[in-house]
Amino acid sequence: MMKKKIFAAVLASAILMSVAGCTQDNGGNNDDGNQLETNGGAADTTTSAAESNGGGEVDNKTPHQVDTGYKLADDEGKVINIYCWNEDFKNYFEAYYKHPEGVDVNWVVNANDGGVYQQKLDEALFNQGDASADNKVDMFLAEADYIKKYASSDFTSALSYTPSSDIYSYTLNAATDVRNDQLKGLSFQAAPSVLIYRRSIAKDVLGTDDPNEVQKLLDSWDKFDAVAADAKAKGYIMTGCVEETLRCYTNNATSSFLSDSNEFQVPAEFTAWLQQAKSYVDNGYTLTCKRWDDEKSVQMGTDGKVMCFFGPAWYYNFCMGTAKEQTNGDWAVCVGPQEHFWGGTWLLKATGTDNAGLVEDIMKAFSENTEIIAQLWEQKSEFSCNKPMMEKYAADTSYGNDLLGGQNDAAIMAECAKNITWDPALHTQYDQTFQETLPGRMIEWFNGDPKTEEEAWSNFYKDLKTVAPDVVTPE
Amino acid sequence: MKKHKLVSYAKWGYIFIAPFFIVYIIFQLIPLLSTFYYSFFENYRSGLNVIGPNFVGFDNYVTLFTPDKNGSIDIFTYFINTIIMWLMGAVPQLVFSLLLAVIFTGERLRIKGQGFFKTVIYMPNLIMAAAFAMLFFMLFSKVGPFNQFIMSSGGEAFDFFANKWTTRGIIAMINFLMWFGNTTILLMAGIMGIDQSLFEAASIDGATSWQVFYKITIPLLKPIMVYVAITSLIGGLQMFDVPQVIGTYLGSPNRSTMTMIMYLNNYLGTSKNYGMAGALSVIIFIITGILSVIVYKTMANDSGKKPKKAKKGA
Repeated sequence: MMKKKIFAAVLASAILMSVAGCTQDNGGNNDDGNQLETNGGAADTTTSAAESNGGGEVDNKTPHQVDTGYKLADDEGKVINIYCWNEDFKNYFEAYYKHPEGVDVNWVVNANDGGVYQQKLDEALFNQGDASADNKVDMFLAEADYIKKYASSDFTSALSYTPSSDIYSYTLNAATDVRNDQLKGLSFQAAPSVLIYRRSIAKDVLGTDDPNEVQKLLDSWDKFDAVAADAKAKGYIMTGCVEETLRCYTNNATSSFLSDSNEFQVPAEFTAWLQQAKSYVDNGYTLTCKRWDDEKSVQMGTDGKVMCFFGPAWYYNFCMGTAKEQTNGDWAVCVGPQEHFWGGTWLLKATGTDNAGLVEDIMKAFSENTEIIAQLWEQKSEFSCNKPMMEKYAADTSYGNDLLGGQNDAAIMAECAKNITWDPALHTQYDQTFQETLPGRMIEWFNGDPKTEEEAWSNFYKDLKTVAPDVVTPE
Repeated sequence: MKKHKLVSYAKWGYIFIAPFFIVYIIFQLIPLLSTFYYSFFENYRSGLNVIGPNFVGFDNYVTLFTPDKNGSIDIFTYFINTIIMWLMGAVPQLVFSLLLAVIFTGERLRIKGQGFFKTVIYMPNLIMAAAFAMLFFMLFSKVGPFNQFIMSSGGEAFDFFANKWTTRGIIAMINFLMWFGNTTILLMAGIMGIDQSLFEAASIDGATSWQVFYKITIPLLKPIMVYVAITSLIGGLQMFDVPQVIGTYLGSPNRSTMTMIMYLNNYLGTSKNYGMAGALSVIIFIITGILSVIVYKTMANDSGKKPKKAKKGA
């Protein structure tokens, strides 16, 4: 009997371990927002690297806390509650910000998966009135795709100070309440999304891998489409997934997905993306997978045939699969056909907070304190919202990103970031559905089931009805 | 006076079962009834604005049963998806489990190392369904091992998750693999509960293995089969985690893997639409009830009635 039991136990653990092993590797199958989380884990590994080779010539390469000199006001609580969905900001906060003595910082972390973060946050905000002062939400984090839901609501309150005019304006517009133009928070980062291309393939297709030359050859969609055909002729694939160019279009939309009377409408930019995506799929210019599929990640490895990806600093520094190990240095970035942003994390001030002063000091520190911003960039490659600081790094010829073959990516990012616009009126509280579910339905159509575009749309209208019962759909 | 000496032990029985009923009433019965109640209200969130609750009568039910422009009713589509995926997994599972149970309990075969086999076939059930689904999602992905095998043997990569029948098939297979061990053990218990003298008598009378199986094992196994069928049906109707991982919340491709509970989950996500979710839950409750009765009636009919008649005769 004993033998049997031991044998059974060994078998059970073998199976469990094999499954655990497989699931751990799989970070790929997530939605846009979730991937920001892996950002955190990866960022941690770079800390130790920065720590070990810091060397001490520039102080900002070694993590140290910065004291802003803020003193708690008399009516402020001793506990500050911050809601977030991963450890990113928490790590930055703990590493760089010296909070006033005697304050207890309480982090409430709920993963983004399946909308859990927003559900927990919403419950806490709804109960804000009944919560005791020390249990109230003081500050919370929000992403680009749903910031409007919070910024344009009574659950956030206006900042009492005017942030520096040096902050990239789009990051401020995003946190502005569309109803009364009040600023409710700000982002500590800017997420200009750039064209990431593979140098070796660019050399073969375009004859050059110099970012300036490549930019000239890819600065409009007409040129991009033409190059896609050339790449195909040479046996390459232009883009890594159907959604690759989506954000270039939708985050530059000139009309909203919802009309003033809450009717669903399709912005011209989305239609343009859809046409491009369809023709790319039909012509074989792109892989037909989704943004986070393994099929795409494989293309970043040694045998990859894909020339272009799009993404911000957090994407290529932390989310590009095997690129860092297998193809390090074979990449470069340029602005691409259209300046745009993708993602980004905002800090918002919750209504009813008993730590308004401290919350604003944190926001100010992470958007204006040069010592913190310098550390964010030099240690974490976190592109800040602070324009002069980032332009300083853009001009720094001694800096280069190893993944990008020594290119100074700050220069490209800074160029891109200043042209990004955000009109709060064009965003909706359902942006996440329009940016993730809608393309998902279109990709199903590209892949052959459903057979027609019409069916794809009607599938999406059904989704929209469950997510947003108050939106009027054409069907 | 003597009456007082009679101690009623019945009350202890009631006291011992009371915790279950108290927990049941608080956590099951009250929520069940309140689900019925809330299904008559319009109650959802538009972002952070709470709409309702406003009494709307049967409006939620009407919405659920309103056909779209192609004349198809979503909830029927999802019901059929659920049933198809359940049948694809449950039918082979029942056949396979029955076969295994008969083999394991067969007096003539006397299989060695039964404990080992029983452990192995039960093992998939120990793994979290979502993890199991994730594993298969990777195995069958376009760059997964299965496709690499196809490509290395000269074929072309096949996108299993773009075709509704392969996707459904994979979901059914996962459910099959996860549950056949459990079913086998239940059926084995059922077979071992059958009086051995019946098998002996049959073999003395010269019955073939097939005759023993068909005339003795199957009829006497019916109560267990009914139990297995009904629990499997209820589990099947509540299918959620495996298709949610494989087909995502979209029920890809083309809503063909969207089950009723996934539909319910979508209503409870962003919009917190308690009204519609309540109505949908009530419908699922009714469907489950009806199907359980049908399964019970069709399967239990013979074994349920015959003993009674026999008793009367005797």
